[in-house]
Amino acid sequence: MQRRKTNYLVNATPTFEVLSQDEIEAIYNSALTVLYETGVRVYEPTGIELAYSGGAIIEDRTDDSALVKIPPWLVDKALATLPGKVVTRGPDRKYKMELYKDAITFGPGSDTPFTIDPYTGKRRRATYKDVKNFARLTQALPNLDFHMSLGIVQDVAVGTYDRWQYLAMLEGTTKPINITAVDLEGLKDQLEMAYIRVGGKDEWRKGPLFSLYIEPVSPLSHSEEVIQKLIFATDNEIPFVYTPCPLAGATAPTTLAGTAVQALTESLLGIVLSQLRKPGAPMIIGGLMSNMDMRTTVYCYGSPEMALLSAAYTQITKWLGVPMYETAGCSDSKMFDEQAAMEATMNIATAALVGGNMIHDVGYLEQGLTSSPDMMVASNEIISMVKRILKGIPVTDETKALNVIEDVGPGGHYLDHDHTYTRFKTEIWRPDIIDRQVWENWEAAGSKTFRDRVHDRVIEILGAEEEPLLDEKMYKELRRVCELADERHKGEELDYNMFG
Amino acid sequence: MSEIYEKLSTAILEGDADKTPKLVNRGLKQGLTPKEVLDNGLIVGMDEVGVRFKRGDMFVPEVLMSADAMAAGMLILRPLLVESGAELLGKIVMGTVKGDLHDIGKNLVSMMCEGAGFEIVNLGFNVEPDVFINAIKEHQPAIVGMSAMLTTTMRAMGHTIKAIEEAGLRDTVKVFVGGAPVDKEFADTIGADGYGSNAPGGAELAKQLVGAA
Repeated sequence: MQRRKTNYLVNATPTFEVLSQDEIEAIYNSALTVLYETGVRVYEPTGIELAYSGGAIIEDRTDDSALVKIPPWLVDKALATLPGKVVTRGPDRKYKMELYKDAITFGPGSDTPFTIDPYTGKRRRATYKDVKNFARLTQALPNLDFHMSLGIVQDVAVGTYDRWQYLAMLEGTTKPINITAVDLEGLKDQLEMAYIRVGGKDEWRKGPLFSLYIEPVSPLSHSEEVIQKLIFATDNEIPFVYTPCPLAGATAPTTLAGTAVQALTESLLGIVLSQLRKPGAPMIIGGLMSNMDMRTTVYCYGSPEMALLSAAYTQITKWLGVPMYETAGCSDSKMFDEQAAMEATMNIATAALVGGNMIHDVGYLEQGLTSSPDMMVASNEIISMVKRILKGIPVTDETKALNVIEDVGPGGHYLDHDHTYTRFKTEIWRPDIIDRQVWENWEAAGSKTFRDRVHDRVIEILGAEEEPLLDEKMYKELRRVCELADERHKGEELDYNMFG
Repeated sequence: MSEIYEKLSTAILEGDADKTPKLVNRGLKQGLTPKEVLDNGLIVGMDEVGVRFKRGDMFVPEVLMSADAMAAGMLILRPLLVESGAELLGKIVMGTVKGDLHDIGKNLVSMMCEGAGFEIVNLGFNVEPDVFINAIKEHQPAIVGMSAMLTTTMRAMGHTIKAIEEAGLRDTVKVFVGGAPVDKEFADTIGADGYGSNAPGGAELAKQLVGAA
């Protein structure tokens, strides 16, 4: 018989915290100060007017921008209508990404210029085929809940690549996607494609097929394109990620608390504008905060500071009641190697233990410049392992198993006990690629390292024959949107092929 | 004499932008030529900064402080050097290209190049090809530097080079490019003269482009 004390709360999941409640509030209140006293620069007239009509102070107008100062009460008002739960779904409705406090999902990162060719191991510019292959990997990997491109399609027109990129992803996966758009028109085209894929606007409203990635520029700058996307997304029920990428020491204070304050200030502007435009508009804030390496000047994706900042920001978003865009599964290493595995393990474990929601950038190498199928497959295994830790050790009379211990008694064994038989599969994590063979069998299987086995899995997934996810008619319809965009923008390309 | 040189190079090494101009003035008062102050004081300091940075004993914020000190000294020396007809490294016109608001990388390269002795004309971000062209006409730089953070705006680098060509100015300047998605191959494709993968590399490259390294 299970006995519990009245009001006895058991948290069965291990939790990790890097900020105290008071520290969270101190960061939030400081962000309000920056937003009100320093202000942020907005480069878009509609956004400036929207802020002004809502009660913001507008100063220092230039031809193309103004300094916007938001009083604290306006932020409170916006937070009151901001949804705490955001959902996107795949086109066949089988897969779903639900974001709310402590709901953990994982997915890749987006738009790397380079990728590691799965067959040659060479680093080169990403193509349509790579992006489709990455989507197929996400489709095949059970611990990835949403998808991002992991490559910029660079074998098509540069100015309209985003539509082709979305098409490539739709060819490879039916999981929810977080898209990028080159501009407002690119976003409109992709929304049209999503309507085609899901069967119209009403279907979209039942579960949006994608969320949109929007990145204001640190420090405290919100470009024309960023605000245009925010407004269009808000008007059209597109959930969006509003994520600055401040770089401690370069585009943000070198002290991590200061970086968190600035990032939050940048995100709060997005929250205020979206809620002024349409109370209840769904958004996710984030997400990628790290430090500049002061020897190489690169943006670190594998640093402990990145994991720490991501964890701290997750706590802040939980307190605010807004879903969080976390960062993990990424590394500064150039290939999938020991450094990559080590850094990914560190940031995946941190992101999950703190309870981040939309944890992205699985598969990133080289400071986010290169994507790697091997990194993706290995991270899937790391996530699986971390998920087991998250399940914790439920302590009940049943799991304490006193009667089983009594049954077996001194000197016996549990192997053929019914209690073991019925529970070992759910209680004990089983590895997929991690090796636990005895030496002789490992040798007989080819003495393969973890790296070899990960790569074998990549090739196996990519080599599998599959039914196309899009029928011919739908593929043609979607492709037509891409071709029309190319046609409209023909004159803007260079006279030669940019990428050789 | 060697005492003032040593003090100057130490001031540069320590990134002391207050002390450096005072020491420059003291050297000039002692009868040193501007060129002597520059070559035996400031540049000796900056060279040591370069060596220490490469060795991993100095980091970017420290290098930038040294560059600031160097710039403070050059403020006094540059007009005197021009007057005396000494060969200077010349100007670099720098900008983040049209459509792109990312300018931290470009600013870093600018500061590093300034530290190396160049004069920088910083055009900011979202710079139209026309603005580059007008700046070339006005400042007659030795080098034009362009930065882009996005593949879509990398395209603007190609457009800008073409516009410089069409304005008949391509032969008057060297062009170097940089930014996260940019690589050597792309720089070659659009007809740039050089590509720098990071800020310190950019300063080195600038010196090579004008034959000073």
